[in-house]
Amino acid sequence: MVASNPFAELSALIPPAVMQAYVVLMILLVIGGTLLDVMHKKSAKYFFERGQTLKKLAKREVSSAEKIRLGVSTVANEVLASGEFDNPDRRRSHLFIMYGFVIFVVTTGILIFGLPAAEGETAILVPLLWHLGALMICIGGYWFWFKIRVDVRSEGHQWYDVHLSDLFIVSLLMMATFALLWSLLESVVGGLLADIALFIFIAAATTLFSTVFWSKFAHMFYKPAAAFQKKVAKADGSRDKLPDLPELTDPLVKQRYPDIPEYMGDNPPYMGLGIKREAPNHY
Amino acid sequence: MPTFVYMTRCDGCGQCVDICPSDIMHIDTTIRRAYNIEPNMCWECYSCVKACPHNAIDVRGYADFAPLGHSVRVRRDEEKGVIAWRIIFRNGSKDMDLLAPITTKPWGKHIPQLADVPPPSQEMRDSQLLFNEPKYIRLDDGDLHTLESNGLKMKEGVYY
Amino acid sequence: MAYKTIIEDGIDVLVVGAGLGGTGAAFEARYWGKDKKIVIAEKANIDRSGAVAQGLYAINCYMGTRFGENKPEDHVRYARIDLMGMVREDLLFDMARHVDSTVHQFEDWGLPLMRNPKTGAYQREGRWQIMIHGESYKPIVAEAAKKSADKVFNRICVTHLLMDESKQNRVAGAVGFNVRTGNYHVFKSKTVVVAAGGASNIFKPRSVGEGSGRVWYAPWSSGSAYGLLIRAGAKMTQMENRIVLARFKDGYGPVGAYFLHLKTYTQNGIGEEYESKWWPQLQEMVGAEYLDPEVSHRTHRPIPTCLRNHAFISEVNAGRGPIHMVTMEAFQDPHLEEIGWHNFLGMTVGQAVLWAATDVDPKNENPELTTSEPYVMGSHATGCGAWCSGPEDVSPPEYFWGYNRMTTVEGLFGAGDAVGGTPHAFSSGSFTEGRLAAKAACKYIDDGKAGGIRVSDAQIKRLQAEIYKPMEHYRVYRNEITAGTVNPNYINPRQGLDRLQKLMDEYAGGVTVSYMTNEKLLNIGLKKMKMLEEDLEKVAAENIHELLRAWELKHRHLTSEAVLHHTLFRKETRWPGYYYRGDAMKLDDENWHVLTVSRRDPDTGEYTMEKAPCYHLVEA
Repeated sequence: MVASNPFAELSALIPPAVMQAYVVLMILLVIGGTLLDVMHKKSAKYFFERGQTLKKLAKREVSSAEKIRLGVSTVANEVLASGEFDNPDRRRSHLFIMYGFVIFVVTTGILIFGLPAAEGETAILVPLLWHLGALMICIGGYWFWFKIRVDVRSEGHQWYDVHLSDLFIVSLLMMATFALLWSLLESVVGGLLADIALFIFIAAATTLFSTVFWSKFAHMFYKPAAAFQKKVAKADGSRDKLPDLPELTDPLVKQRYPDIPEYMGDNPPYMGLGIKREAPNHY
Repeated sequence: MPTFVYMTRCDGCGQCVDICPSDIMHIDTTIRRAYNIEPNMCWECYSCVKACPHNAIDVRGYADFAPLGHSVRVRRDEEKGVIAWRIIFRNGSKDMDLLAPITTKPWGKHIPQLADVPPPSQEMRDSQLLFNEPKYIRLDDGDLHTLESNGLKMKEGVYY
Repeated sequence: MAYKTIIEDGIDVLVVGAGLGGTGAAFEARYWGKDKKIVIAEKANIDRSGAVAQGLYAINCYMGTRFGENKPEDHVRYARIDLMGMVREDLLFDMARHVDSTVHQFEDWGLPLMRNPKTGAYQREGRWQIMIHGESYKPIVAEAAKKSADKVFNRICVTHLLMDESKQNRVAGAVGFNVRTGNYHVFKSKTVVVAAGGASNIFKPRSVGEGSGRVWYAPWSSGSAYGLLIRAGAKMTQMENRIVLARFKDGYGPVGAYFLHLKTYTQNGIGEEYESKWWPQLQEMVGAEYLDPEVSHRTHRPIPTCLRNHAFISEVNAGRGPIHMVTMEAFQDPHLEEIGWHNFLGMTVGQAVLWAATDVDPKNENPELTTSEPYVMGSHATGCGAWCSGPEDVSPPEYFWGYNRMTTVEGLFGAGDAVGGTPHAFSSGSFTEGRLAAKAACKYIDDGKAGGIRVSDAQIKRLQAEIYKPMEHYRVYRNEITAGTVNPNYINPRQGLDRLQKLMDEYAGGVTVSYMTNEKLLNIGLKKMKMLEEDLEKVAAENIHELLRAWELKHRHLTSEAVLHHTLFRKETRWPGYYYRGDAMKLDDENWHVLTVSRRDPDTGEYTMEKAPCYHLVEA
C-alpha cells in the first residue's frame, strides 16, 4: 500500500497529462502569487532601502566572497535547519512540516511525471517517500495545531478556532491528511470514500498553491532574505543598530568599562540564567 | 517611545507578552506576531525589548514629541551578567556604545532560602528585629536604634 | 462566559502586588512563618513588575550607619522638612532604622552597589542616595520573594478585598481575575499585605498622544493600593499630598544624579539663577520655620521639594522660561557624561531616546526642564496612603493599635505606597516596610487574631458578578450600535480615564490651571466625580484586557475621590509647588499642623474626615 504509487491507479480515471498539467499550473500559481505579493507589498523595495540605511552605518565593507559564505550559512542554518525559531518545539515542528512538504511535493512530481508507469516494476522508494512526506507534514502540523498554536503564551487559539490567517496551515494539513487517507482508502476499499478523500486532497492542494497572495506561504521567500540581511549587518559592523557585546576579559573592554572588572571581578563568573530560567508562561 | 516589532525578526514566541508589565504586548491574531496594542500605555521600560530572543522589538520615540530617525537599542546578556546599549542620534552625530554590569553574582545563588535557616527565638519574635538583624544593620555588633538609645521621644505639636 | 473559579484556600499571608514592598513582605514572611502559607498575587510578571520594572540607577534611601554617615533620626528630620512637617515620624524612624539591613542584603544577593574608590563606602549620589547598576534590581528581589512564597500567581488583577463575615472590619482575603485566562481567582487568607502601587494617570498628563505613556510614575501604577484599601473601609491619610516633579522635559528623566552627583544646576531662560528671588515672597506664605535660606545654607537643611517647584512654576509663569539644566560644564568630563547617560538607561530609557531623537547632547546644550502633572503615591517626596499602626516601641497611643503597618482594618497590612505619612521610602524603604508588615502579620496570626474567619459563597458570587459586569454590559449594549466606540449606554475604560484626568486637572489643581484649586472648584469636582462613579457602573469592556483597564480605572477613581475630599478638608496651602488652595494661600500651622485622616463608609460611600495629631521626634 505505502509502497505503491497512488497516482498510477488514478491514471485510469484522470489521464496523466491532465495531472501533469495540474502540477505545472500549481507551480505557476505559486510563482505568480509570490511575484504579486512582492510587488504589491513592495517587500523587495523595503529590503533594498533597509540595506542602504544599514550600509551607511557599516564599519567595513563585506566582500562578495563573504556574502557568498553568509548566503551559504543562511541556507544551512535558517533555510535548512529553521534556526530562526527560538522555541525548540516550534523549530522541530517546523522542520517536520518543511521537510515533509518538500519531500511530498518532489515525490508527487516524480510520481506524476513518471506516468504512465513503465511495464513491470515500479520503484518502491518514491511512493514510500511520498507517504513519508505526507506523514511528516501531519506530525509537524498537528503538533503545531494542537500543542503549539493553542498556547502562544496563552494567547493561542483553541484548536477549533480557525481564522483566515490559518489558510496556509489548514490547507496544508488537509492536503497531507487527505492524500494519506485517499491512498489508504483506495488500496483498501476504493469506491466513493476514496473519491471523496481524493476530492478534498485536490481541493486542499489547489487552495494551498493558489492563495499565496493571501496566505503566509510567501514567508518562505522573504524569511531567508531577512536572515541573510541580518548576517550582513553583523558582518559589516552596523549590527542592525544593536550594541556590541564584547568579551568581558578583554583588556581593552576592561579599560573602556572599568565598572565591569570593578564589580564583577577580573574574570567574571558565568552567571547562569535569571529571568530566562523559567519558561515564559507566567499567568 | 512606544515599542514596535520588526516583521522580519519576530517569530511570535511570546516572550514579550509574558514579561510586559503593562499587558500591552500581544500576539496579533492574523499574522501571529507580537505587537504593541496600546502605545499610550507604554512606559518604554524596555522589559520586552530586553526579553526578546531575536532583538525583534525596538522603540520609536513618542510621536507627540520625539522626531524620527534615532535609535536606542539594547542587548541584555544574563549569562555574562551585563547589559549593552547603543545610542544613535537622529543626525548621526553620536553613535555611542555603553556597557554595565547587572549582577555581581550568579543569579539567585546567594539569596537565602528562608525556610531552611534556623527559626527565630521567642525573644527575637518579641523584639523589633527583622531577619539577619541586628547584624546586617551595621555589619558590626551594633544594635537596633531605638528612641532610648538615640535619646529621643515623640512629642505632639509644632516642632521643626 | 466560561471562566473558571479558582479558589486558593488556607492562606496565612497574602501579598497583593509584588513590587518592592510586596517582594519584601513575601521574602520576610517566610522567616517568621516557617510553616505558614505565603501567596503572592501580582498583576503582571513578578520579574518585571511595579515601579522598578525597568531598573533603578540609585537606591534613594540608605542611612549608611555602617560608615557612620547618618542616624535614622537624621532621615526623619529630612523627610519632615521636605514634606512641610506632615509625616508619620514613628513609621519613618522605624523604616530608617531597618533600611540598611535591607540594602546590605541586596548587595549579598548580587545587586551591583557602586563603591567610592577613595573611602570604600558606597558611592553617594547625595546624602541619602547611593548609586547602583540596577538594571536587574527587580528580577533580583523577585527571586528572593519567589524563594519564600508557596505560590506566585502572576497576571492576577486583584479588584477587591474579601471581608470576614463573622467579625466586623476584619479582612479575609482578596479576589481578582487573571488578565490572560479571564479566570476568577479567590484568595482566602488570614492576613493581607497590600503592597500595590500608587497612582499615575489620574491627572491629565502634559503629553497628548502616545506620549501620555511617558508618565513619570509607571502607567501600570493604577492606585490599586488606595482603591483596595478605601473600598474596604480602611482609614486613609494625607491623600491631598500629591506630588509634582521637576524633571527633564517630556521624557521625565530623573534629575537627582544630575543635581547631586554631576553637580549640574538650573537657570531660567535668560541664564539667571532664579530660585532665590522667590524666597522672600514664599517665606511670607509658609513662614520662616519652613523656609529660611540662610539657615538652609548654613546647616545644609534642604529646601523642601515643593518650594523649589514653586520657584520653578512662578518663574515660568513670569515669562522667563524655559528653565534649563546647566549640563554643559559638568559634561565636559567624559566620565561624568557617561554617568549621565547610564543614569537614564538604568531607569528612564525614554529620556535617552528623546535626546537621541532631538540630537540633545548635554555636552553642547543645556536641556529643558518642566514640572510634571501631579501624581498620588506614598514613597517619593510625598506620603499619601493608609493610616497605619506604628511599632510598639516608638509610636504614641494615637499611632498604635497592636501591629506594625496594620491599617484600621484588622489583619490588613500595608507596605510601600500603601502606607501613608512615610515619604522618602523609595525602593529600599518600601522593601523594608514590606518586611516589617510581614513580621507583624505573622505575629497577628500567632496571637490568635485570625480565628473563625468566615467568607460566604454569597460574598464570593457577588464580587464575581461585580468583576465581570463591564464585559456583560458591553455584550448587552454593543447590540445598540453599528460599529465604533460611541454608545449612549456605556463608556470604555479609555474614555472614562480621559474624563477622570480632565476633571482632576481642572478641579483638583493639575497642570493646565498651574496647580491651583479652591473650595468651590473642589466641590464641583466632587459632584462631577459622583456622576463619573455612576457612569463607571456602565463602563464596558470588550475583552479581558479592557476589563483590566476598567478595574484600574475604578481604583484610580476611588483614589481621586479621596484626593478631592482631603484637598477640600485641609483649608490651607501646605505645599506650594504641589498645589495651591487659592482661597487659603497661606500655610496655617495654628489650625493645620495635623494629619488629615479620612474614611469612606463601604456601605454608603460617604466620607468622614478628621484631624489626627502630628507627633515629632525630638530630643528627650
